[in-house]
Amino acid sequence: MRTSIREFATSDWRRFRRSRLAVVGVGVILLFALLAAFAPYIVTDPTQIEMRREQDGQTLRPPFPPNRLNLFGTDQLGRDIFARVVYGLRTSLIVGILVRGISMVAGVLLGLISGFFPRFVDDLIMRITDIMLAFPVILLAMTVTAVLGPGLVTVCVALALVAWPDVARLVRGQAMSIKGQTYVEAARCVGAGSWRILLRHVLPNCMGPIIVAFSMGIPGAIMYEAGLSFFGFGIQPPTPSLGSIISDGRGYITVAPWYPGFPGLVLTILVLSVNLVGDGLIDVMNPRAASGLQNSRSAT
Amino acid sequence: MLGYSVRRLIQIVPILIGLVTVLFALLNILPGDPARMMAGPFADPDVVKTIREEMGFNRPLWVQYLDNLGNLARGEFGRSYQSRRPILRDLIEVFPKTIQLAVAAEVASALIGIWLGVIAAARRNGWADRLIMMIAALNLSFPLFWLALMLQIAFAVFLRLLPPSGYGIGFDRFIILPAFTLALPSLGLLARITRAALLEVMAEDYIRTARAKGLRNALVMRRHMLPNALIPIVSTIGTDFVRLLGGIPIIEVIFAWPGIGKYAYDALVFRDLPALQASVVVLAVSVSLVNLAVDLLYAYINPRIRYV
Repeated sequence: MRTSIREFATSDWRRFRRSRLAVVGVGVILLFALLAAFAPYIVTDPTQIEMRREQDGQTLRPPFPPNRLNLFGTDQLGRDIFARVVYGLRTSLIVGILVRGISMVAGVLLGLISGFFPRFVDDLIMRITDIMLAFPVILLAMTVTAVLGPGLVTVCVALALVAWPDVARLVRGQAMSIKGQTYVEAARCVGAGSWRILLRHVLPNCMGPIIVAFSMGIPGAIMYEAGLSFFGFGIQPPTPSLGSIISDGRGYITVAPWYPGFPGLVLTILVLSVNLVGDGLIDVMNPRAASGLQNSRSAT
Repeated sequence: MLGYSVRRLIQIVPILIGLVTVLFALLNILPGDPARMMAGPFADPDVVKTIREEMGFNRPLWVQYLDNLGNLARGEFGRSYQSRRPILRDLIEVFPKTIQLAVAAEVASALIGIWLGVIAAARRNGWADRLIMMIAALNLSFPLFWLALMLQIAFAVFLRLLPPSGYGIGFDRFIILPAFTLALPSLGLLARITRAALLEVMAEDYIRTARAKGLRNALVMRRHMLPNALIPIVSTIGTDFVRLLGGIPIIEVIFAWPGIGKYAYDALVFRDLPALQASVVVLAVSVSLVNLAVDLLYAYINPRIRYV
């Protein structure tokens, strides 16, 4: 039994590896994750202010353009943008995984319940998803963070709140199609309870689409966090966020294009990498059900 | 079909009640006193008190809630806290501008996206295909607000070709930048979907037949492949239009486009409950209408689907 599982895993990996772009995506994400994890050992202090710099007998004022000391240049206070971007990546990655984690747990659970339990439970949950999906996402997320007060945790809560209905719908569809399978009937015949069937038979059989949905939802979460922070509804100043760095740099766009430019470029590369990995995963799992999920809601 | 449409429209009503309820609850938890906001920071306490009584903010919450629902049911959006103008009149002014922007963006992305998808499919695995698919993946990964900034600086500040933001009457030069920014991600998505749909059709027997009888490639593409690949493309355009409406507040705020997204954003910043709820309701209704239209169109191009 064990060998067959391993064989499955290696054949999946082989199929995944065939798409070179997906492997590049994994590499970039690993690199970014390492940078973010070991940020204090790699970059200088992102809060270090430097209001003047002597160079070739001249006194320079910030924002300094990219140079030997500052790979991405500095902001108006002489703070190193590369350092701030690395710390911002930390926020982005945490938010992306946390939001997706929370919304997947909630969405999978509610989707399973909705697809498996009696009609009125299904109706109730589906009407709630209808309401959530009718909201313009960014406005709802902004309202929720305005209510809860901005900050890392509230941003995650707000984004998870807008993200779970998609997952619930997807998992519900899967659960409903699996419900009619003979092995479910067989399990019921030998006396397995609903929850046991759900967790032991239905859930493992919709894992493919769930994994794809997990990876496909991360870019949206990362972009929405950046978007919220850009508009001042997200992560607040002492915590660096790519969105708020870009927002700060907006006013210097003509004198220091590197200031809003580089953080956005890094954000784009991060999102692109996660998207490429998601595409690779779709090729491996090939669940047609999940393919529409990726971009239906990411709008930032 | 008519019965189906009517039933779908009736289904929107409970969703709208849910939307209004959620918004009402959220905005009442929000810190900040609308009466004080209306009166201004240095207002006399008596003035604040008068406004509070005039607007009915001193009534119990459930009375305010039911009153609010009743007004909406009668089609009365009320007056904006911020401008004191009837919200309906504001909406009539801002909503068409949003539609204008969204339609312009969607048309642009459909034309360019399908065109790119056709080229990619025709030159499958060639360098053009790879390049187009790469651009498509990149377009889907741009954060809209950053893309907007970069395009602003490129076309308005450095090249001085287009105005950075604002609104001109009709389809002026002002619409180009926001519509293009909004269109870029959709364009990538449509190119991908078109390519995938075409490749699927390409394997069909009737394509081989068409080629075998000596039709030129361009003609096979136009007469046999595109029409048959249209179903996924049209449904993607529909869902994409909905996605576009979701991204529109961001674009409108950045480009100072006076549409409903910016209106809603301003309302949220000002804690203007009636204006915010009215714009959310209008946006939600338009999303539902677009969804319905897509489903009907779907049945029209695919005769195998019938709604009863």
